[in-house]
Amino acid sequence: MSVTRTKPELKNEIKFQLDNIATQTLENGLKLFYLRKEKLPMLRLNFVVEAGGKFDFLSKPGTARLTSQVIDEGADGLSALELSDEFDLLGTDFSISADNDFIIFSLQSLTENFDKSIELLSKVILKPDFPEKEFEREKKKLTVSIMQLKDDPEMIAEQIFDKIIFGNHYYGLPVRGYLDTVENIFPDDIKNHYQKYFKAENSFIAAAGNIPSEEFFHYAEKYFNTFLSSSEKILLPESIETPDKKVFVYDKPDSVQTEIRIGYLSGRRILSDYFSKLLFNTIFGGQFNSRLNSNLREKKGLTYGIHSHFIYYKNSGYFSINTSVSSENTFEAVKEILNEMQNLENGVTKEELEFAKTSLTRKFPLNFENYRQLTSNLSALAIHNLPLSYFNDYLQNLNSVTLEQVNEQAKKLSQSDMKIILVGNKISFTEQFVFNGFEIVDVDEKGMKAKIK
Amino acid sequence: MSLLNLSYTKTKLKNGLEVIIHQDKSLPLVAVNIWYKVGSANEKPGKTGLAHLFEHMMFQGSENVAKEMHFKYIQEAGGILNGSTSFDRTNYYEKLPSNALEIALWLESDRMGFLLKALDESKFENQKSVVINERLERYDNQPYGLAWELIVKNLFPKGHPYSWPTIGFKEDIESFTLDDVINFFKLYYSPSNATLVIAGDVDAEEAINLVEKYFGEIPQYETPPFPQTENFTLAENFYVEHKDNVQLPRLYLAFPTVKCYQPDDAEFEILSDILSGSKNSRLNKRLVFDEQIAQDVSAFQFSGKYGGMFIIVSTAKPGISLSELKKKILEEISLIDSKGITEKEFLKTQNGIKSNFISALQNIDHIADHLNHYNFYLGEPNSFEFDVNRYQSVKPDDIQKIAGKLLSKNYLELNIISKES
Repeated sequence: MSVTRTKPELKNEIKFQLDNIATQTLENGLKLFYLRKEKLPMLRLNFVVEAGGKFDFLSKPGTARLTSQVIDEGADGLSALELSDEFDLLGTDFSISADNDFIIFSLQSLTENFDKSIELLSKVILKPDFPEKEFEREKKKLTVSIMQLKDDPEMIAEQIFDKIIFGNHYYGLPVRGYLDTVENIFPDDIKNHYQKYFKAENSFIAAAGNIPSEEFFHYAEKYFNTFLSSSEKILLPESIETPDKKVFVYDKPDSVQTEIRIGYLSGRRILSDYFSKLLFNTIFGGQFNSRLNSNLREKKGLTYGIHSHFIYYKNSGYFSINTSVSSENTFEAVKEILNEMQNLENGVTKEELEFAKTSLTRKFPLNFENYRQLTSNLSALAIHNLPLSYFNDYLQNLNSVTLEQVNEQAKKLSQSDMKIILVGNKISFTEQFVFNGFEIVDVDEKGMKAKIK
Repeated sequence: MSLLNLSYTKTKLKNGLEVIIHQDKSLPLVAVNIWYKVGSANEKPGKTGLAHLFEHMMFQGSENVAKEMHFKYIQEAGGILNGSTSFDRTNYYEKLPSNALEIALWLESDRMGFLLKALDESKFENQKSVVINERLERYDNQPYGLAWELIVKNLFPKGHPYSWPTIGFKEDIESFTLDDVINFFKLYYSPSNATLVIAGDVDAEEAINLVEKYFGEIPQYETPPFPQTENFTLAENFYVEHKDNVQLPRLYLAFPTVKCYQPDDAEFEILSDILSGSKNSRLNKRLVFDEQIAQDVSAFQFSGKYGGMFIIVSTAKPGISLSELKKKILEEISLIDSKGITEKEFLKTQNGIKSNFISALQNIDHIADHLNHYNFYLGEPNSFEFDVNRYQSVKPDDIQKIAGKLLSKNYLELNIISKES
């Protein structure tokens, strides 16, 4: 082997330090987070309101999602189409999404159009008209998209997984709602949802752009100082009871593949175990060279890809393994995954941990390249109550995790009561599971027990 | 806009490898991006999907890099990597901290020059089943997942390089042997058939020396000529129906158009934005907003080196027929043909395009891929300004004319309907 063809060594480690995050709280309680990024003449922001699907637990599933769909359908006297035209004329990207915890307004504009763009945003958030005609159309759109869910095995698997993992907890509800619950949502429901949850102290703005922070704070103050505050705290019940049956199957007879989800409840994001979980997952299923992907894809060729991750909602979180395999390989794939979990009892090796630390350490600067990454990193600080120095201390916290701490996570996972969810052509794999002592529970697309066909 | 004027140096090694270097010191990162001028369009009928399967084999190690180590070395350096295959080209790319540039160049050069000895039957059989699973996951088991395959197969003339999907037909993928892969490499993976872009926090002279060090010794060989194609029309409208596991029927109209960067290409793109690019676009307003007979609608111009098509897709609401959707879609295009578009519609589109061009400069890996894109299609990597001007020089009248041109064409209609109906 010539010298040229041996692996070159890295010369020196790169030092990267994120600029300081600027923060301010308006008098009404609205929190602001800002990071200056000079590269391009643009800004991006997330306006985040804690008004997501979890609160549907107290009313009708689908209400938060429908509120997010109708809120920009007319505001401050502008019609839905006029509003949309105004954003388009500015060349501004504007979108709204709803998840379990939040309704999120995302805005990206050229700096020259930022003033007008944030003014429009303030109309949508502070002065929505909720016209009934637009409500009916958006409601129908939502019900039709719920019907279409039945076509998509991945979406069915996700919905059932949430239900099985969280049981009757509020995170077990799908944000889109169910057909029968959405049918029963009326204009007053979304107006109530808006009035109850759209409050300044339930909200924050995370932004990045090329203007000075003072200037950004000035705009936020100018357009949002009239956002109402409220002292009422809405509490949701936290008890979680999940069933202990093993394999949950949704039968989709025409499928050529089975969607597989395996996971368990692993708790909310806390600083004391976040980094050991992150390192553990990097080794187990978080990247291409992980144990799961090396085995199921690169050795066995059972799948196009398999990943695992810890998902963190605001008040809880879960661990899940996701993959899809051709129907006839369903059992073999599940067996291999369970074997990999069993192997975790012996822990991971020092080399695996060092590799994961090195990889994540060196990859760190890649997390701060574009404006979307910056606003979502700032949002994470706000959502999980992380200290402002979080990104400055990140590498030190990551690298001080010990092998024992990672192995504690590995062991926890190997001993946890994993739920297995399968969406596919049941007849092609049931027999193998039953023969190997698994109990099959038939479920419908809501994750509720179904009558066997 | 000087922001869209990117400086670069371009050189060619003795073995024909083209090298483009662009400096950007805003973050300590570097992007490495190689385009090989071969995609599924270079395949032969009966051997479809080979370019893509081959791409998978490029990640299985090379003479001096053991299986799985390619990924491992990049990840160890803190980088990310991937590759993709399209009709026209195959690309491979890494983004890393800038001190790891040499590792990426070493890995890319090893698989460009020293791949064959590392290939074996077990790696090949493994990746063949990974690709078969990829096809199942992304196409066969997706609702409406076979639409693209049905459109290209039926719209492009028999034997046209776009008349099969890049993933390949299932029976073709299953029939491949290790020899097919080896022969494909010997035909197309010469350094003279590739362009390497390095973008980011690098010194141009140092970078070119490293490229020379790692790629200089790789021998070049002659590669086959590119396929030749002409734009075509359909002799008559053509109807295809396909039954799928779906709740709602979906309509596809596909019109043969022009290759990318040919006259009319930008006009068709702007027309697609006027038709479906926003809430108040023509088709969205009529079908989704006002009449509520469609769940969604979108239009786009797809164009490549060897051909192009204009596609309109719309999903019917329950109880609505696809023929009703089609009638109203064609009516809306006729309205543009007869009355033109408003100043406001035009301005919305132009401002959106301007924002998109600036927004696209956020990531260094996107910039690197774009330099390669422009170099491949236009022969000039720094074509950002040229490209934005291509859109900005279109006039409202041109959109009226292009709507007329679209309507004068015969088209392919695909209906994907529920198995139960």
